[in-house]
Amino acid sequence: MKYLVTDDSKLARLSLIKSLKTLTGEAEIFQATNGVEAIKIMEDEKVDVVFLDLTMPVMDGYEALPKLLELNNKVKVVVVSADVQTQAKNKVIALGAQLHVQKPINIDKMQEILEII
Amino acid sequence: MYNITEDEKDVLQELMNVAYGSATAVVAEMLEAFATLSIPNIQVMQVNELLQTFESLKNKSYYFSTQAFAGEFSGESAFFIDTTSAKNLAKHLEVESDEDLDDAILELTNVLTSTLTTKLAEEMDTEVSFSLPNIFHVPLAEIAGVKTFQSYSQVIVIDTQLIFENQKINGEIFILTKDESIQWLKQKLNYILDQMI
Repeated sequence: MKYLVTDDSKLARLSLIKSLKTLTGEAEIFQATNGVEAIKIMEDEKVDVVFLDLTMPVMDGYEALPKLLELNNKVKVVVVSADVQTQAKNKVIALGAQLHVQKPINIDKMQEILEII
Repeated sequence: MYNITEDEKDVLQELMNVAYGSATAVVAEMLEAFATLSIPNIQVMQVNELLQTFESLKNKSYYFSTQAFAGEFSGESAFFIDTTSAKNLAKHLEVESDEDLDDAILELTNVLTSTLTTKLAEEMDTEVSFSLPNIFHVPLAEIAGVKTFQSYSQVIVIDTQLIFENQKINGEIFILTKDESIQWLKQKLNYILDQMI
C-alpha cells in the first residue's frame, strides 16, 4: 500500500505517520506540504490512500481534492482537518472524499480510519 | 530576547489550528453561518510593536475586547471586529440598537476566545483560569492604556482571522503569551514535537 500525507504542518504529518507506521508496519509513505506537491507526487506514484489537510498555503485541500481524484479515481481520500463545521464535512464528502476526520490523529483514530477504508 | 524556532512555530501553529477549528465551529453554530479557516500567523514581538499593530487596527475597528487567562500558560486574548463587519453582524442577527449589538459581540467574543484558549491549553496538557471580569470591552481610544499590556515586555503573538465570507464578517484574534510563560511554552512545544519523532 502506498500512502500520501498532505499537511503544511510538520507536527501534523509526523503524528499521522507515527500512527500509520505503528499500525501498518513497512508502509510506503510520501509527504506533501500543500495541494500542488500532492498532485506532483500523484502524477509519479500510484498512491492508494491520501490523507489531506484542508487549510494549507499554495493550494488548499478543497482545491486539491477533485484534482487528485481526476488523476486517480481509485484513490481513497481521507480529509484530516481541524474544521469540524458540518458544512465543511458535507463539502469534502460531496467533492469525493471517503472520510472527514477531526485533527489531531492518534493511534485509535487511525485504527478506525484503516478499518473503514 | 526570545526567539522562536521554525519547529516551535510549526507546532504552535498546528495546535492553534486545531483549537481554532473547534472554537470556530461553536461560533459558526451560534451564528448559523459557515466560517472559512485561515492559517494562524505566529510572531515574537516587543510590546511597543504590539501596540503599534493595535493602533493601526484601531482606526477601522468598531469593537475591541480583551480577556486575561492565567496558569502555566498565561497571557491575554484580544479581539477586534471592524465597523463594516459589526454592521453586517447586526443585519445577520437582526439586531437594531447599538447596545444589543455590543452585547452580541461581547457574547461572541466570550465564546470564541474562551473556547480557543481552553482548547489550546488542553492540547498542551495544562489548564487556564479566566480572571474576573471574564472579558471586557475596551474603548478604542484606550487600547494603549490597557494596564495588563504594560506587564509584558515581549509577547508571542498568535494572530488569526475570523472570516464569515457570505455574511462579510471579519474579526482578528490575538493570543498574547506573558513573559514568564514564554519559556514554559517553548519547552512544551519542543516536548510535543519530540514525542512524534
